[in-house]
Amino acid sequence: MQIIEGLYYSKDHEWVKVEGDKAYVGISDFAQDALGDIVFVELPEIGTNLIQGEALGSIESVKAASDVYCPVSGKVIKVNEILVDDPALLNEDPYENWMICVELTEKDQLDQLMNSAEYEDFCNEEA
Amino acid sequence: MSTLKRTVLFNEHIKLKANMIDFGGWEMPVNYPEGILEEHLYTRKKAGIFDVSHMGRFVVTGKEAAKFLQHVLTSNVMALNVKQAQYTIIPNENGGAIDDAYVYRFGEDEYWLVVNASNAEKDWTHLTNEIKNFDAEIENISDDYAMLALQGPESKNILSKLSKDPYLNEPAKNSLDIIELDGKEVRISKTGYTGEPMGFELFLKAEDAPAIWNSLMENGAKPMGLGARDTLRLEAGFPLYGHEFGTDINGEEIKIFSVPLAKFAVSFAEDKGDFIGKKALLNQFEALQRIMKKDFSDITDLPKILRLFALTDKGIGRNGFKVFKDGVEVGYVTSGTMVPYYKTEVNGLNDVQKEEKDIRAIGIALVDSHVVVNDQIEVEIRGKRAKGIIVPYHMKADIPPFTRPIIYG
Repeated sequence: MQIIEGLYYSKDHEWVKVEGDKAYVGISDFAQDALGDIVFVELPEIGTNLIQGEALGSIESVKAASDVYCPVSGKVIKVNEILVDDPALLNEDPYENWMICVELTEKDQLDQLMNSAEYEDFCNEEA
Repeated sequence: MSTLKRTVLFNEHIKLKANMIDFGGWEMPVNYPEGILEEHLYTRKKAGIFDVSHMGRFVVTGKEAAKFLQHVLTSNVMALNVKQAQYTIIPNENGGAIDDAYVYRFGEDEYWLVVNASNAEKDWTHLTNEIKNFDAEIENISDDYAMLALQGPESKNILSKLSKDPYLNEPAKNSLDIIELDGKEVRISKTGYTGEPMGFELFLKAEDAPAIWNSLMENGAKPMGLGARDTLRLEAGFPLYGHEFGTDINGEEIKIFSVPLAKFAVSFAEDKGDFIGKKALLNQFEALQRIMKKDFSDITDLPKILRLFALTDKGIGRNGFKVFKDGVEVGYVTSGTMVPYYKTEVNGLNDVQKEEKDIRAIGIALVDSHVVVNDQIEVEIRGKRAKGIIVPYHMKADIPPFTRPIIYG
């Protein structure tokens, strides 16, 4: 299982990559592996104000549907539309294929997330 | 996990790095590393093997074996010749299903009955109770035999590498025999749960199963988990107990004739005589005749019917989602997901299966009986309604060796 250094991770297996005041959000390798073949992705509208913990959209595999929760509050400024046409990209490379980009409104929320080492321990406990 | 039951192929699944889950008290593979989509496609193009040893296997023997089965099954067992199999249902008095099953006639008075894993105990109690009035015996051989399914266009070629038995060239569906395969005695039938025109089920002595499983793989079959088993049967439009049989989402029993396949599994033939649930089933059948003529004046005996649907909007209609027609709720999804397919090039009578793949959202819904094929419907997905259509089938198997997906919208 792949975990990338320098990202923030949530207990729901989303990752956050911070670039200045912006943050990219996606799902982790652990999440894509648990879901299996991803066949459907639903993303929010640009301009949506998401609150930390709110569903940003959903991912469906053959087996099940899962909500994806936004680990940080922010206004959606970009969505990765390619995923809607090719959801399997999330299985192929979940870190390259971000889902949304938000303008961070509460940067200190990042302190509540895990770093890569903490997240690795967390996944080992879950497995 | 230690309390879960395991099949004799458990170690093979672990070696293959299967993702194991609890399925009705059995620790079973849901998928192997390639994933459900690739597995599904491989069965449609080449051949997949399934460990179905978790299913219940009972043998009925004795002078009144057939008479007993006529009483406890919906099908006409008298119409079954030696070396033939048939699909059947174990009914209750109300015309509901205790289980659906397959019956295989291996000898004059020797019938094998294969039932769903999750119902095996309940079936056993029911059948052993009913058999008391007959000169017949029933034996549970679930632990003595393993069961594999080998399904797909290449399945016969794979078996031909392991056996020279002329049975393999027998074209008829539901035909069965006892043959030697890779040096082992195997009971084999041309049956399956994938809709493939070419497919076999194999009964093996439990100790022979791992070797045969591996031989089949060495000769080109790939393992299929329960995930692909479900998407394949859904694409074929086959019912699954607990979804399309049993009780519905409101706790009411699903009527046997609500399942389209019941037409082939229920017989009112004279030589069958009386059987459990016959009266209720006749009433359902008569209601179905009216419904098929679009006469909905009296549908009290069959208020709901299972229909196949395809979504034309984006989204996936999953189990339990509500179904609407003209804005009115008419039922719910009993099984639904996305299934992959190979595109076909339409070429007169010789449609060609292409390399190009796609994926589609399909399902089965239990809806009011007035909802018919070609009706526009909507499925409510997380508060939003996605458009769909009631369809007659999701694929066809009329041009062997390949199935053809039928795409709507």
